[in-house]
Amino acid sequence: MRWLLRSLCWFGLLGSAAAWDGGAVAVQSLDARALRTLHLDLLGRPPLATEVEHSSGKQLAEVVDAIVGEPEFWSRWFEEQLYYFLLVNNFRPQSERMSALPADLASSKVDVREAVHLIALSANFDQRNPGADTFVTVVMEQLLGLQVQKNARELEIGKHLYDGGEGTFLGARGNSQADVVRIAVRHKGFSAHFIGREYERFVHARADPKELAYSATEFAKDPGVYTNLVKRWLNSEAYRARLEKRLPLENRLFVCSLFVDLLGRVPTEAEAEPMRQALDGLSDPAPLRSVLVRMMIDSGRVPVEKRSDITDPAGWVRARFTRFYGRSPSESELATFVAAFNEPECRPQTILCALLSSPEYQLY
Amino acid sequence: MTNSDRREFLKVSAAAAALGAGAMLCTSSLGRAAPQAAKGRKTKRVVLIAFAGGVRTRETFGPDTNVPTLKAMAGEGVLYTRARTSNLGHFGAALSMFTGVSAPRGIRENARGNEPTVFEYVRKDLNLSASDVWIATAGGEQQVNYAYGLHREYGARYGATTLDGDGIFNREFKSLLDAWGRPREMPEKERDLYLRLRSALQTTQGATSAESAARVESYLLQELNRGTSDLTGANAGDAKALRLARNIVSIFKPKLTAVVLQNADIAHGSYNGYVEVVRRNDAAINELWTAVKADPELRDSTAFVICPEFGRDRDLNSRRGLDHGDGSEDLTFVTCLAWGPDFKRGAIVKDDVAVIDAAPTVCDLLGAKARFSNGKTLPGLYA
Repeated sequence: MRWLLRSLCWFGLLGSAAAWDGGAVAVQSLDARALRTLHLDLLGRPPLATEVEHSSGKQLAEVVDAIVGEPEFWSRWFEEQLYYFLLVNNFRPQSERMSALPADLASSKVDVREAVHLIALSANFDQRNPGADTFVTVVMEQLLGLQVQKNARELEIGKHLYDGGEGTFLGARGNSQADVVRIAVRHKGFSAHFIGREYERFVHARADPKELAYSATEFAKDPGVYTNLVKRWLNSEAYRARLEKRLPLENRLFVCSLFVDLLGRVPTEAEAEPMRQALDGLSDPAPLRSVLVRMMIDSGRVPVEKRSDITDPAGWVRARFTRFYGRSPSESELATFVAAFNEPECRPQTILCALLSSPEYQLY
Repeated sequence: MTNSDRREFLKVSAAAAALGAGAMLCTSSLGRAAPQAAKGRKTKRVVLIAFAGGVRTRETFGPDTNVPTLKAMAGEGVLYTRARTSNLGHFGAALSMFTGVSAPRGIRENARGNEPTVFEYVRKDLNLSASDVWIATAGGEQQVNYAYGLHREYGARYGATTLDGDGIFNREFKSLLDAWGRPREMPEKERDLYLRLRSALQTTQGATSAESAARVESYLLQELNRGTSDLTGANAGDAKALRLARNIVSIFKPKLTAVVLQNADIAHGSYNGYVEVVRRNDAAINELWTAVKADPELRDSTAFVICPEFGRDRDLNSRRGLDHGDGSEDLTFVTCLAWGPDFKRGAIVKDDVAVIDAAPTVCDLLGAKARFSNGKTLPGLYA
C-alpha cells in the first residue's frame, strides 16, 4: 500500500521518482486522491497545502473528526442546502439571520432541523416558490419527499392553510403559510427524507434500509446527533467504496478546485458564483471549464514558476499530477510531458492548461 | 449577426475544429454525408419553442393583441386550439414536451428524467453531432436536465448542447471575464503541443467530442463579446434564450434548436407583468422568425413548433396575480402552433391534442422516431 508515500508526494513534498520506489509502508492512512476526495465531499474544495501536510499519514477517522462540525463544514452544509432548494442566484438569501446560520450551527445555537426550518421560512424561499400551489408542492416534495400527485388531498389542505384557512395538514392543525412549513419539518417523514438525502450527498449511494432507519430514528429523537451520523457514514465501508470511485465533479466544486489548485485559496462568493452559474447553464460544461482554466492561467494572477527556474521537469510534472489528480503519472505520460516541456514552444502554463482541462480533472 | 461577424466566427470555428482534429475520434457530422431529412419533406431544421412559465390562451390567442407574431405565424401555419397539458410544475411539464411522456417530477427537482428526449432521438437516429442539436433555456440550473435523460439506450452521448442564457450571459460573469482578461490565443505550435499532451493523458473523452467541444468553446467566446449579456427587462432571461437561439440558428444551422422560456411565471405576483413578458417574448420570437426568413438556407427548410407547457388559473389570486393549480380549462388546455414549409397554411385544428405530442411531431418531421413517447404526431399538420 502506497498511501503514506503518496501523501508525502502531494504537492511535491518528496517530489522525485525515488520516493515512490523506495518501498511502500503499509499504513492505512489517506492517500493523496482519497484526501482530495474527502475534502471535496466535506468542504467542497480540495485540501490546502497546509492541510495536506497536516493530514499526511493520518487515518480517515482522524481527518473526518477534524473536519466535521467545524465552521467551514457548516458553511458548506448551508451552501448545499441552498443549492438543494435552488435558492441560488437572485434567490440566494442575503439577510443577516440567514448569513449567521453556519456560525449558529457551529456553536450549536441551532440544529440542522431548525436550520432547514428557518431556510424554508425565509423570504427567498417564498419568492422562489410563489403561490399556494407551488409553495405547498415544494414543501411536500423537498422537505418530505412526497409526490403531490399521490397526495392531492393533502396538497389542497396545505393550500387552504397557506391562504389563511384552518385545517389539518399532514395530521396537524394549522392556519398559515408558516404552519405549512412547521408541520412539514415536525412530520416524521422529514427525518427519513432529510437523512436519506444527506447520506446520499456524502456517500454518493443510497443508504442501506437498516442504516437509513437507524439514522432517521436517532435523528428524529435528537437532531443534535447529525454530526455523529455523518462521521458514522464516512467511516463506513460504503464510504470506503465511494473513495474507490471517480465521480463527476459538480460545477461548484470545480470552481473551488481551480482556485485552490492554482491560487492556494478558496474563491470569494463574488468570484465563485458567476462562474458556477455560468457552468450550470451548460449540459456539458467542459468547453466553458476549459475557457475558465485558460482565463485564470493567462490572467497573470496565478503564480507559475518560470520555465528557467524549473531545474527538474520530471519532478515538476510529477508534482502537478499528484496535486491535480491525486496520482503519479504513468511512464508514458511522464515521458510525453517531459519531452513537451523541453520543446521551445512549451510554457509551464501549457502543461497546466492541458492537465486542468482534461476529463480526469473533472472527476473526483 | 452581420456577415463580418459570421465570417469571423467561421474562421475561429475552423481553427477550433483544427484544434480538435486528431485528438479524438469525432462523432461530428462534419466529414460525412449530411443526414437526410424525412423522405419527401422540405423541412430540414426545426425550432421548438416551449413558450413556458405558464401561459394561457386568453393572453395569446384571445381577443387581445399581445402576440402579433404568433398570430401571423398561425395565419401561415396550423393552430391547435386545445392542447391538453399536465400540471406537473414547470420543470416536469416542460420536460414532458421534450420526452413525450407526462411523468410527475418535483418542482425543484434538479435531476434528469428517465425517458429519452427529442434531442436524443434525433441525434441517435440521424447520427448528429452535439453542435447539430441545441437547447437555449432561461430557467437556470434545473433546465440543463432537459438536454438528455437517463435511458440506457440514449443518454449523455446523444444530448443537446444546452445554454442557459441567464446563466452564462449575465453581467456578473461578463464582468468577471473582463476583470480576469480573456484567454490568449495559443500560437499554432503551442496548440499542437497542448493537444499532444491532452491526448497523452490516460483518460476517456467526455460526452461531447473534442471537435464539438472546441466549436462550442469558440462560440462561447464569440457570444460573450456580443450584447447578449446586456439584455434587461421583465423578460431578460427569455430574451437571452431567444437571442441565443437566433445566433445559434444563424451560425450552426442546427437540425434541432429548442428554446425554453420561463419568465411568464412572474404572473404569480403580477398579472400586468405577465402580459408584458408575453408581449416581449412575442417580439423576441419575431426576431428569430425574421432571421430564419432572411436566411436563404433556412427560410424554406425550417419549421417552428411553439407551445406553452401549461396555462394558468382562471381567476386572479389575492395579489392580483395568476397561480397555476385550479384545474380549470385555462390551466389544462393551451394553444399551440406549427409553421413550416411542409405544413398547411391558415389551418385551425379544434380537436384535442396534447403538449406531449410536440416530441413525436418533431421527430417525425426530421425522420427520427420517438420510441418511448406516449404522444402522437400532431394531426392535420401536413399540407
